[in-house]
Amino acid sequence: MVTQRNRLGTITVAAGLMLSTAAMADTLKVGVVGPMTGPLAVMGEQWRQGIETFMELNGDTAGDTKIEVVYRDTTGNPANAKQMAQELIVRERVQALVGFGISPSAAAAAPVINEVKIPTFLPHVASPALMEASPYFVRLGQNIATNAEVAAKWARENGMESAYVAVADYAPGHDVANAFKPAFEGAGGTVTGSDNIPLSTVDFSPFAERIAEAQPDMVQLFIPPGAQAVSMVKAMAARGLMENTLIMGQGEAEDSDIQLFDGTIKNFHSAIYYSESLDNPENEAFLEGLQAKFGEDVLPSTFTLGAYDAMALIYALATDMGADFDGDAVMAELAGYSWASPRGKITLDAESREPIQDFVIRRVEDVDGQLRNVVVDTIQQVHPISGS
Amino acid sequence: MASAASSLTFILLYGVSYGLVLFIISIGLVITMGLMRVMNLAHGAFAAIGGYIAVSVMTNFGIPFPLAVVAAVAGVVALSVVLERLVFVNLYGAPELDQVLMTIGINFIVIGGLTIFFGPNVYPISLPDYLTGNIDLGIRNFEVYRLFVIVMGLIVVVGLWVMFEKTSFGAKLRAAVDNPSMTRVIGINVNRVFIIAFGIGSGLAALGGAIGAGMLPLEPYYPMKYLVLVLVVVALSGFGNMRASLAVAVLVGIVDTAGRFLVPSFGGFIIYIVLVVLMVLRPEGLFTKRAA
Repeated sequence: MVTQRNRLGTITVAAGLMLSTAAMADTLKVGVVGPMTGPLAVMGEQWRQGIETFMELNGDTAGDTKIEVVYRDTTGNPANAKQMAQELIVRERVQALVGFGISPSAAAAAPVINEVKIPTFLPHVASPALMEASPYFVRLGQNIATNAEVAAKWARENGMESAYVAVADYAPGHDVANAFKPAFEGAGGTVTGSDNIPLSTVDFSPFAERIAEAQPDMVQLFIPPGAQAVSMVKAMAARGLMENTLIMGQGEAEDSDIQLFDGTIKNFHSAIYYSESLDNPENEAFLEGLQAKFGEDVLPSTFTLGAYDAMALIYALATDMGADFDGDAVMAELAGYSWASPRGKITLDAESREPIQDFVIRRVEDVDGQLRNVVVDTIQQVHPISGS
Repeated sequence: MASAASSLTFILLYGVSYGLVLFIISIGLVITMGLMRVMNLAHGAFAAIGGYIAVSVMTNFGIPFPLAVVAAVAGVVALSVVLERLVFVNLYGAPELDQVLMTIGINFIVIGGLTIFFGPNVYPISLPDYLTGNIDLGIRNFEVYRLFVIVMGLIVVVGLWVMFEKTSFGAKLRAAVDNPSMTRVIGINVNRVFIIAFGIGSGLAALGGAIGAGMLPLEPYYPMKYLVLVLVVVALSGFGNMRASLAVAVLVGIVDTAGRFLVPSFGGFIIYIVLVVLMVLRPEGLFTKRAA
């Protein structure tokens, strides 16, 4: 890496000389690296919507700096993430990265990012331990241990005595289960059953049947969004669980995804930090901008929001620092940084580089004939919980 | 606490309905593989296209579900016959690797096409009201939709049995499976039998994709996602053995359901253990005429 850094340095110096002699407006390149195609393509697509919405609303210059966005498609494969981050840094000379659809991709790219100290904004990846991989990671979503703990406490406060934990059998699912159980039991509840659902599951009815037999007051769920979540919710609905049991998830039923389910998603609860229905001027502007650009029926998700907020930070930084980001200076500036996001007030915790933000408990309800997430409760300014 | 009887009926009812969807989707591949010895890994793509056609004519034109299913089957049969003449005909007798590469390639084209036209997300199906809800079977409640799937599966079984055993086309098909060159010698147009069988097989896949969409959600990756399950059924069935593939599909459904219900953490593996054991004991497939 040493030779590469030297070469990178030489290129930077040479380019700097050229730029200063040409005296043109400085351009800051932002690299977006993540799944633009493949099974996780919805993430990349919604990031793009968030980024383009932000740039539509705020123009393509921040202060005196022109902002340019370069996309790279990992197709969701962590093996590509490192290579593409490297390419964006070395060849495109990006000053900031936005990206990674899944935590393993971010972890894979971390060594490159650490080497050249590129501030990297993570719109949504949620593994609790991920932040240890790089001091240049900034989380704009949450770590899922936080959701699980918020859900456990809220459920106890609302009279749930027994809980069943049903999570997908991979690292994030285990993180949710490991955070939820002690929080729920610590608050006096009983966890009556816990299943790790294999990712290969096609027919989810066996798991719905197990939950129905245990008759818990609530279910803490973590299932990858998309086909799996749709099948699981259908299976639970067929056993009457959506009506008689509190089903608490996280990102399974984003506003943009509700139409993927049939009516069975009604009554699904989630503990998360955003709802399309939030009433604040920033959210209003965000929704208006998004729908003006991409169509009236386009709804945001936490993916859209995370990328939108990443751009908000990059614009704020570029206004202050110009087109040349120094990783350590950026991280120092962001520590404790607070701004008004469509999700409400958000502050980057200096210690963890994760947001301190409001959490909402939202429920899917019929609003004027359409299923939408409706906020039923707000938990003010939740600090991130380290689940590792 | 649930009684053992309730658990047992759960496993049987859900396992059988799941297995029958797998059967409808897989049987076409069992037939075409047995007949033409073509390893058509794009078979799942026909199921996906069938499902997408059914749902899109329902949502865009308000066509009722039964007609949408008919449209899906007809559309896929037409498409598959064209593809058979243009593409698959080149694969007969080609090395297995060529077949695999070509048909996997078709899968990726279909995945890309579905993503372009319908987006990367799940393509949701709204079943008609008469197929939603539960019905009380006395022992326990059961989903009307799954009951419908079971009935459709049985209709397909009976239909195929009649076609194979009672029609002259069935006799020609069996002859062509057993000995294609001899069948040609006695004046049967084996190529024509191939086209018809290919169309029927693909049409059945479309039927499975359309009526099974409530259980196996439609998404661009459908052709790859369910390929393993289809191949399990095909591998254990033996060439062109319809009776075996019915038994295998239902067995896969029941074992998978029971595995996930009884030992959820290992539930994903159990079906593969069964697969390995059966492949070792009966490499020719279940119920093959030759003794193992």
